[in-house]
Amino acid sequence: MNVVFAVKQYVSKMIEDSGPGMKVLLMDKETTGIVSMVYTQSEILQKEVYLFERIDSQNREIMKHLKAICFLRPTKENVDYLIQELRRPKYSIYFIYFSNVISKSDVKSLAEADEQEVVAEVQEFYGDYIAVNPHLFSLNILGCCQGRNWDPAQLSRTTQGLTALLLSLKKCPMIRYQLSSESAKRLAECVKQVITKEYELFEFRRTEVPPLLLILDRCDDAITPLLNQWTYQAMVHELLGINNNRIDLSRVPGISKDLREVVLSAENDEFYANNMYLNFAEIGSNIKTLMEDFQKKKPKEQQKLESIADMKAFVENYPQFKKMSGTVSKHVTVVGELSRLVSERNLLEVSEVEQELACQNDHSSALQNVKRLLRNPKVTECDAARLVMLYALHYERHSSNSLPGLVMDLRNRGVSEKYRKLVSAVVEYGGKRVRGSDLFSPKDAVAITKQFLKGLKGVENVYTQHQPFLHETLDHLIKGKLKENLYPYLGPSTLRDRPQDIVVFIIGGVTYEEALTAYNLNRTTPGVRIVLGGTAVHNTKRKIRIL
Amino acid sequence: MSKGKLKKFCKKVVGFILQRKSLVQKAKKAKNRLLKREGDDRAESGTQGYESFSYGGVDPYMWEPQELGAVRSHLSDFKKHRAARIDHYVVEVNKLIIRLEKLTAFDRTNTESAKIRAIEKSVVPWVNDQDVPFCPDCGNKFSIRNRRHHCRLCGSIMCKKCMELISLPFANKLTSASKDSLSTHTSPSQSPNSVHGSRRGSISSVSSVSSVLDEKDDDRIRCCTHCKDTLLKREQQIDEKEHTPDIVKLYEKLRLCMEKVDQKAPEYIRMAASLNAGETTYSLEHAGDLRIEVQKVYELIDALSKKILTLGLNQDPPPHPNTLRLQRMIRYSATLFVQEKLLGLMSLPTREQFEELKKKRKQEMERKRILERQAALESQRRLKERQNDLVSRAANGEVVSLRGGPAPLRKAEGWLPLSGGQGQSEDSDPLLQQIHNITSFIRQARAAGRVDEVHTLQENLRQLQDEYDQQQTEKAIELSRRQAEEEDLQREQLQMLREREWEREREQFQAVSLHTRTRSLDFREIRPFQLEPGREPRTHLAYALDLGSSAVQSSAAPETPSPVSALEPVRVWSGPPAFGQDPLPQSTVPQQTSLNPFEDEDPSSPAADGSASPLASEPASGPSACILKEYNPFEEEEEEAVAGNPFTTPDSPAPNPFDEEDEHPYPRPSSPPVPGNPFEEATCTNPFEMDSDSGPEREEAIEEELLLQQIDNIKAYIFDAKQCGRLDEVELLTENLRELKRTLAKQKGTN
Repeated sequence: MNVVFAVKQYVSKMIEDSGPGMKVLLMDKETTGIVSMVYTQSEILQKEVYLFERIDSQNREIMKHLKAICFLRPTKENVDYLIQELRRPKYSIYFIYFSNVISKSDVKSLAEADEQEVVAEVQEFYGDYIAVNPHLFSLNILGCCQGRNWDPAQLSRTTQGLTALLLSLKKCPMIRYQLSSESAKRLAECVKQVITKEYELFEFRRTEVPPLLLILDRCDDAITPLLNQWTYQAMVHELLGINNNRIDLSRVPGISKDLREVVLSAENDEFYANNMYLNFAEIGSNIKTLMEDFQKKKPKEQQKLESIADMKAFVENYPQFKKMSGTVSKHVTVVGELSRLVSERNLLEVSEVEQELACQNDHSSALQNVKRLLRNPKVTECDAARLVMLYALHYERHSSNSLPGLVMDLRNRGVSEKYRKLVSAVVEYGGKRVRGSDLFSPKDAVAITKQFLKGLKGVENVYTQHQPFLHETLDHLIKGKLKENLYPYLGPSTLRDRPQDIVVFIIGGVTYEEALTAYNLNRTTPGVRIVLGGTAVHNTKRKIRIL
Repeated sequence: MSKGKLKKFCKKVVGFILQRKSLVQKAKKAKNRLLKREGDDRAESGTQGYESFSYGGVDPYMWEPQELGAVRSHLSDFKKHRAARIDHYVVEVNKLIIRLEKLTAFDRTNTESAKIRAIEKSVVPWVNDQDVPFCPDCGNKFSIRNRRHHCRLCGSIMCKKCMELISLPFANKLTSASKDSLSTHTSPSQSPNSVHGSRRGSISSVSSVSSVLDEKDDDRIRCCTHCKDTLLKREQQIDEKEHTPDIVKLYEKLRLCMEKVDQKAPEYIRMAASLNAGETTYSLEHAGDLRIEVQKVYELIDALSKKILTLGLNQDPPPHPNTLRLQRMIRYSATLFVQEKLLGLMSLPTREQFEELKKKRKQEMERKRILERQAALESQRRLKERQNDLVSRAANGEVVSLRGGPAPLRKAEGWLPLSGGQGQSEDSDPLLQQIHNITSFIRQARAAGRVDEVHTLQENLRQLQDEYDQQQTEKAIELSRRQAEEEDLQREQLQMLREREWEREREQFQAVSLHTRTRSLDFREIRPFQLEPGREPRTHLAYALDLGSSAVQSSAAPETPSPVSALEPVRVWSGPPAFGQDPLPQSTVPQQTSLNPFEDEDPSSPAADGSASPLASEPASGPSACILKEYNPFEEEEEEAVAGNPFTTPDSPAPNPFDEEDEHPYPRPSSPPVPGNPFEEATCTNPFEMDSDSGPEREEAIEEELLLQQIDNIKAYIFDAKQCGRLDEVELLTENLRELKRTLAKQKGTN
């Protein structure tokens, strides 16, 4: 159930199968991203893969002393490129791997192009998704729907991605979907169709409790992506943006050249792996420790390299030191930038009000706070609009709803038309009319008591009070209490036991906050393994772009 | 008992006490942690730190390794389709080559053109001129001017423009190569002498006028573009098969070298490790040779990869950028390889060093042996004593009671369980009795020279001792927990007492009587006072009280406790938890027990030493540190923290990592009137504060040296705390450390 490993295994297998010798990895745009998430350059260099080429690049030279490993999505263009490539082979031998099911006719046309018999392998390796964390994957599709319905191309891509995920994890699941969403139903049906069609592929060893695929729709919880986050990974994504583990720091004032773009990958950055789910304050103290450790190892200026032994010790420690210095400067820069943004944009205050909007039901105080912040010049356009959006989502039907007033305030503040439009767009997208479940008020007695107790105790942390709606859904799912009238099974059979292996897919994208929720559930619930995925990994900016 | 022995015993008891104390310390720490946890719980439960769970589910990173996912091969399908295609293609090529062979089989230059033509026509039937009014390739109409030409390989017709020529050397190359390669070719339907071309001359066409009028270029063979293309492709294939570029040759060598390193390096490392430990399993020369060999291979790798890097750089048309990229990447990966592996090679000792190491090891062995012998002697002596003893109270029947222990007696050999002679009153614990018995067995066995028995017995003994140690530790922890609780109670009262005392103290201070007073609390005098509880285990409570009162006294002094006092507990603390309590003189850790715990600095000092130097140099550290500090996010953070840090719960500002300096609570009424003495604060937040409380005071200004020492200590604490994963403590300590450093800087400033 580890998606990072699943993809990595595929790539390793490809490289292994090609035997010794210099190799080139021939990929398309998407597979480049897929591979880069699981392998670092130095790691893959050790396996004799020295060049990385795009199949669509024209500027490739004939290098007959190289073996080519082709890892491609089975698209029409890729097949065409490959046919051209095989007619005039540039490399000595080709190992071809498609990331998904390829049609027989495509195989035939490829075979006919291979007049020089350079192809040694043609296989399907189902690494057709971006593995972000061991339990988190994404398809990097922005804007998968047109209104309430699927864009047909994206529907097929999503189906491919999801079936590839199931194949790579060797799971043939039962499917449940969110009834209130038409797109969820469509996707569920498409996945089912593929499973039926490729039943041979989906023949896996039966487990006692069959795995479960739950398909949800983002519009059921439009709140979560609109909140500021305070855990490291989520915060970096929210404020700086993570794209295939890469972070663009070029806009940071006074950034040095080699830190313009940094890679944050839990696979080979221990500090990041240990801290990605911790909150900002903890990161602060941990980075302090990191720096202290670093200072300990740092070669001292005053320390003269007098004896040969000194020099030797220095040289022996140097690579380690250098590696550490890279990590330290990277994280210090990132955290520094985060804290700069936090203070510049007054995010602490903003976040507090956001959380109040998301979690509490005190209309007048919420309204007051929103109004106060709208007057604050430090709050950015985007944050201001976001507050109003949250307000709109929560108090849409409130008796003394003063949304028009707030929108007016936005206008007076000089917030651009683009952002003001979003307010109505978000209500359209995830308003009460659309939501299948109630986000804001507790439903049953247990939940009410819980909230009451919470009120008595005081809030643990004003900035992290919000629990994504997904938490409740998953919690019910794990306990076998998820209502069948809201989340029906596709097909006649239902699960009698509590599910163990769960794949959750959210149409419209997941957030890192939800990833954290799934992570925590994985850690606290014995025997349950949850893999979470979405069409994309969201932050507010991306989410807004979709609307 | 001799005087020396008495001294030894005293030391041991002191060690025992300190041991106890460290246990108290530990228990208290644990309690502090618990208390703190309660306070922090709320802050923590919201965020759920990485370490905070260890039960329940599993971290996704720990999930069992994912097996390779589903795969599906299309190779057989692919091959099937390809085979059909390839057969066709290969047949074509072979046909052409066989014809070419026939066309070049005779001596063209010395044969009449008419005869040549006849032969040519016999190889392949020529297409009728009349059938082709236009050139099939370019579409021009044939006329007198635009004459028809026949391809000698396939018989088709084209115009002169579209005609290609094959030179004899080219033809020879193809035909000779195909003779070798065809026989090895993979495709099934191949044989060099296949049926093609057998129907020679079956169609006798009228020789065209145009052909007769051809100019003579008999040394070349005419053919159409299609045939030429096919042949050219074939030539390319042949070329590639024969030619290996330089880079491949070099690369293959490079890989060979890397493999060699992978074989040899682990062997060398094993040798070097053994040699550095002073063992003599491997010879130094041999290891040296191997080292040189491995290093040579590294040099070779370096040289080869450099050569690959510069390959073709000064050629006229510079190589394709991709080629250069490939070369760079190979070089880069070779460098990585060398870095990773070469730097892992530890160095060998020099000859002198090695001798020294050997000597050291020998001495160590010797010492062990001597100790063993001593133990044996001692036991004999005791045996004698005991026998005397036995004689004196023969009627007591004590032997019987001693033998009563459930010792694994080997009755056949009949080792007698002999008492250790010392402190029998302590042997109330059955385990202890057992241990005694076994030690005496061992002695007897050794005296009798039964080596294997000694061995098994020793094994037995070790197990027993482990068991006992564990039991004792548990007991001690239990005990100390109770103590700690009680102490806490007392501390509250003492706080008030302390205040009063302090006032009195100050008066005294003004009355210049201070010196004598503090001296009276000198450590040397404290020691005997501490000894008492060790002798009588019942007085633990009293001891705790004493400890408390001494705390009162010490903190009553106007100056804070000296760092020296903090040093000692730490030493004991990191020692094995049980050795101080083991009342057996002949236990398996004789060296340690016999050592003065106060001298036993080594176990804890590496950590302190290691961390000491960077710290000491910290305030003066150069620009590189400053660069880092520029990025330091925490300075900014402090301001925000005041504004309302996100992670402080509304009612407990303390756990905030960023703002201690600003809003640190200063609720110590007893603190001396020295405003803002950083040392004071250091002790007040220090969870180890009891360490320092029992020590002697110092009223002079804190010496720089001591400060440094203190810094070292705290470093060691941090290290320890980190080892045990107590992050909150680390936090606190780090804070302390910073205070100390600031003081140090201030000191430096004033000096």
